[in-house]
Amino acid sequence: MSEVKDLEQMVLDGEMTITEFACAKVDGSLERMKERHPEMLWTMEIQKFMWDSYRDAKKNGKKLCFFGGSVPTEIIAAFDCLGFYMDTIPFRLSTNPNLTSKYIDEAEKYVSASMCGLDKVELGAWLSGAYGMEPDLFVYNSVPCDSSRVAYPAMEKIIGVPAFSFDHPFRRDERGAEYLADQIEDFIEFMEEHTGNKLDWDKLKYYMENANRNFELQKKCADLRKHKPCPLPGRLLVLNGTTNAVACYPEMGDLYEGELEAGQMMIDLGMGACPDEKYRVAMLQNMIWGHAKIMDWMEKAYNAVAVMDAFGFQGDIYYEHLDDRRDCLKTMGRKMQNNPMIHGASGPSRYHLELVEKIFEEYDPNVSMFLGHVGCKHTWASSKIITDMIQDKYGLPTLFVDLDAIDGRYKSGDEIKDQISEYFETVVMK
Amino acid sequence: MDYGKLFESDISSEAVKKWRQQGKKALGVICCHVPEEIFHAAGVLPVRMRATGCVDASEAEMWMSSFSCSFAKSVLQYWLEGRYELDGIVASDGCIMASRIYDNAEYINRTRNKGQTIIQIAAPRKHTARTVPFYVNELRDLIEALEEITGEKITEEKLKASVEVYNEARELIKELYELRKEKNPVISGVEALQITLSKTNMPIEEYIDLLKAFLEDAKNRKPQDSWRARLMIIGSALDDPEYLRVIEEKGGLIVTDALCFGQMQFREPIEMRDDEDVLTSIADYYLKRVVCPRMMDVHEELHDFIIQSVREFSCDGVIYQRMQNCECWGGENILLEKKLKDVGIPQITVEREQHMANIGQLAVRAEAFIEMVEKEV
Repeated sequence: MSEVKDLEQMVLDGEMTITEFACAKVDGSLERMKERHPEMLWTMEIQKFMWDSYRDAKKNGKKLCFFGGSVPTEIIAAFDCLGFYMDTIPFRLSTNPNLTSKYIDEAEKYVSASMCGLDKVELGAWLSGAYGMEPDLFVYNSVPCDSSRVAYPAMEKIIGVPAFSFDHPFRRDERGAEYLADQIEDFIEFMEEHTGNKLDWDKLKYYMENANRNFELQKKCADLRKHKPCPLPGRLLVLNGTTNAVACYPEMGDLYEGELEAGQMMIDLGMGACPDEKYRVAMLQNMIWGHAKIMDWMEKAYNAVAVMDAFGFQGDIYYEHLDDRRDCLKTMGRKMQNNPMIHGASGPSRYHLELVEKIFEEYDPNVSMFLGHVGCKHTWASSKIITDMIQDKYGLPTLFVDLDAIDGRYKSGDEIKDQISEYFETVVMK
Repeated sequence: MDYGKLFESDISSEAVKKWRQQGKKALGVICCHVPEEIFHAAGVLPVRMRATGCVDASEAEMWMSSFSCSFAKSVLQYWLEGRYELDGIVASDGCIMASRIYDNAEYINRTRNKGQTIIQIAAPRKHTARTVPFYVNELRDLIEALEEITGEKITEEKLKASVEVYNEARELIKELYELRKEKNPVISGVEALQITLSKTNMPIEEYIDLLKAFLEDAKNRKPQDSWRARLMIIGSALDDPEYLRVIEEKGGLIVTDALCFGQMQFREPIEMRDDEDVLTSIADYYLKRVVCPRMMDVHEELHDFIIQSVREFSCDGVIYQRMQNCECWGGENILLEKKLKDVGIPQITVEREQHMANIGQLAVRAEAFIEMVEKEV
């Protein structure tokens, strides 16, 4: 713990960059895990892969392409560039409130306090010169929310590298898929211009095949959670949010292979994430990145496991005709629309409603929770529609907890636990 | 002609009632990315929805939570109360809050069997060769929906005629704003906002007649001569002239704005070109014009517009009001603050709630700002 504090101080003093901090922190966690839980190493290896790749991108001759929102990462990879998902910074720092608060304060010199903490950290950290990475390109999308729609164009100007932006269609339909496919063609042109290379379809196929494998595995992991007792812990749902960053790399598949193996083993042993599963929790919003330990606590204290959440749950969209360019680009567009957070929050509320309904139909939860990040105003603004449906159709009252996924000053882990405890003891267990 | 109705900025359902009594439809419009010309061509009365005077949006807050912008909540509140007496709502995804007004209204309408027409169209957030055709298709869907509920065919000719009518209103508002460039203009900021707001209370033809009468009489009006500083107001949806009154009572004359309920909803006329259909001209116009930061590629243009307006209207400073939880405007200062500083334009940022909370604090801060910029004159 003191080691992390020392590292934090170095970042605060400008002696260490966020990238170096993240790499050091991941290395530290891996070392501890090797000693205490070597069987769980697979959960950290993806982090190691990600952060080491970002740090060493230039050394490895890779152009670094920062991205925000959902973008076709397969294209970035096919041009031999390394995509860096900017939300990874606030995700990674969310357990270090000293750091997030510094960057949030820096951003709030310019933006309103109500702006999403993710965008504030990304912006504040860049303004503080703390990234430790220099992008060559920047690509972003007009999703997931108004905060990002304002933050990304501003960052485009501040970062000052060649940039490309997508206009995300509001609805998920054929028109939207065609619209995104057209824009992906424009993006390919942009990448060709700025990398000096032509698109190598075979390389793109490789990354599309990886993406297919990863999402197939993700689907299998999700299906395991339907089992009673649920074999996988709630914490892994939070980890699956990583998908956006490395969805087309084999390493993401390795994570899911590990998850699948662990889950299957638990089923074979007749065991669940909780020793005596009593409650299966549906998470309507689940952005407790700074307090993921709450999932473990809930499993121990109340025998309650989060079986599925409406953040990471994605269903299945696969590339089918890998030599059909238009078909692939349209699929890519549909996948962009189906990314975590974007799928349930960026369009009409009914998508979120359908997602939640699917969770209730397929995972048989008996507890409903909305652990809502205060920055996700669009999700909050449809929360009653969703929780009314749950009450009417499944007879379950929903617990609402407001929290800040990134800014630890907003609400402590203990306060969140307290609210969850009260709900279990006064409503669920009554 | 008595043009007093132009200054009635409270929400009135009088025009809606009259319109509907003729067997015609009146639909609420959420956000200014829904072209009213199309409604006009269909014989539908478009009523841009606002929430002037709303002091309690608690029922809407139950639907939209306390984390939503209070303007959006108040619009939903008035809709829930039936304040407008409309046949339904047409929304665009102007900002996510506008979308959620639609979502909640649609859900309530459906589950309570209210039988209203609730339509949503998507408006792209960039102006490019890709986005205009997409928006045209969305507008075609709107046309189809309006044709279905009215039984009226919206022809190219009808659309052209409607564009011409709305263009006339735009030209008249331009003339109105020209008056505000005078050293002692004949109109205050409160009155100007009342005029732009009152458009939502009547058919456009009536509005045009009243505007003409006002402009005709403008020379007879008493000039504003007791101001201490000339100000521009920018920011989130502001539909309450009383907010401006607080500033003007402290000596800050508001002479221009970048507000979606102010001049930004009018601006330049739609140019109809011979080489394209009128719907494409409309779509092109609505995506190209600068209204608010919901468009991702207009920030620089918006900033330039603000700076140019400050110069043209001889402003001493800018009041940047942002509604709490309005993220579109909430982040605008990232680049704007420095730009204004670089060209020596003083700016003050104030947080706002629809219900006129913190109005005492606004008065204090506005007065201090006016004193500061007054000295610089």
